[in-house]
Amino acid sequence: MVNYYTVKLDEDDLSLFGQFQRKHSHENSEKLEHIIAWIAIIGRKYGAKSIYFRNEAETADTAALPPRNPNLEPTYIEWDNETETGETNNLRLYAFRVNEHVVFLFNGDVKTADKAQNCPNVRGHFKLANKLTAVIETCLRNGDIDWNDDRTDIFFDKNLELNW
Amino acid sequence: MEREGRMISDWLDQYGDPEIYAFVEKNLAIVDKVHTVLETKGWSKAQLAEAMGKSPSEVSKWLSGMHNLTLKSIIKMEAALGIDLIHCEPVKEYEYVFLGFLSNMEDLKTKSEEYTQTTEPEEFSIAM
Repeated sequence: MVNYYTVKLDEDDLSLFGQFQRKHSHENSEKLEHIIAWIAIIGRKYGAKSIYFRNEAETADTAALPPRNPNLEPTYIEWDNETETGETNNLRLYAFRVNEHVVFLFNGDVKTADKAQNCPNVRGHFKLANKLTAVIETCLRNGDIDWNDDRTDIFFDKNLELNW
Repeated sequence: MEREGRMISDWLDQYGDPEIYAFVEKNLAIVDKVHTVLETKGWSKAQLAEAMGKSPSEVSKWLSGMHNLTLKSIIKMEAALGIDLIHCEPVKEYEYVFLGFLSNMEDLKTKSEEYTQTTEPEEFSIAM
């Protein structure tokens, strides 16, 4: 139902999403698992609806996971109303939700400040995600990335390079 | 730029905890059903909150898909929306269904013995 894509930078061995998985598989495995399970389940059953992402747009239409929990920041994955205690998921994965069927997954990290711009861990990932989102939007507009007939998937040259 | 391939499913196979997967899956199932019913009824989340006597921000939190919903809050939503969000079915080993009494067993036995199955086409006349 959802086709996920990622981006590999010239100098890297792993894609951005691959780096995210590798780093947090050990450091933040449970938080990562909530995000990976979320990606897998919306991908298989529900589609990439905007309500399942949080808005992280700065210069382009970038999103992130997990979705925003409006009452509590950062998002709680386990919360006990009586004791008002819980475990927080402040791990962020930046993404570009193109539509309900196509999503680009980038990189992310544990967010330690109110705003991504003020957090030394995620600032770079947030800025890069916004930059990549803008470049991909341009490719979609100029045809370097093309849609299939029912706009459920994209096509591009396997050697397509994103330049900015 | 590349397709994600099996990075997600492979990761879940290697590191996944079935309990976390089930938590996210059930939570999303409830949240998606509530959103669908709200759309069908033409209700906003604020209207649902009002129907339950809750604050809109609390209901938004419930419907974030990342909240550990309590049975109480699920039942409140069920009552307000008039739907079932959780089905609990009793475990059955056997189910007995009464079909009725059989009489004149000898006649039935004769008929079953006389029955032959054929692949030949047969003509039937229909009384008009």
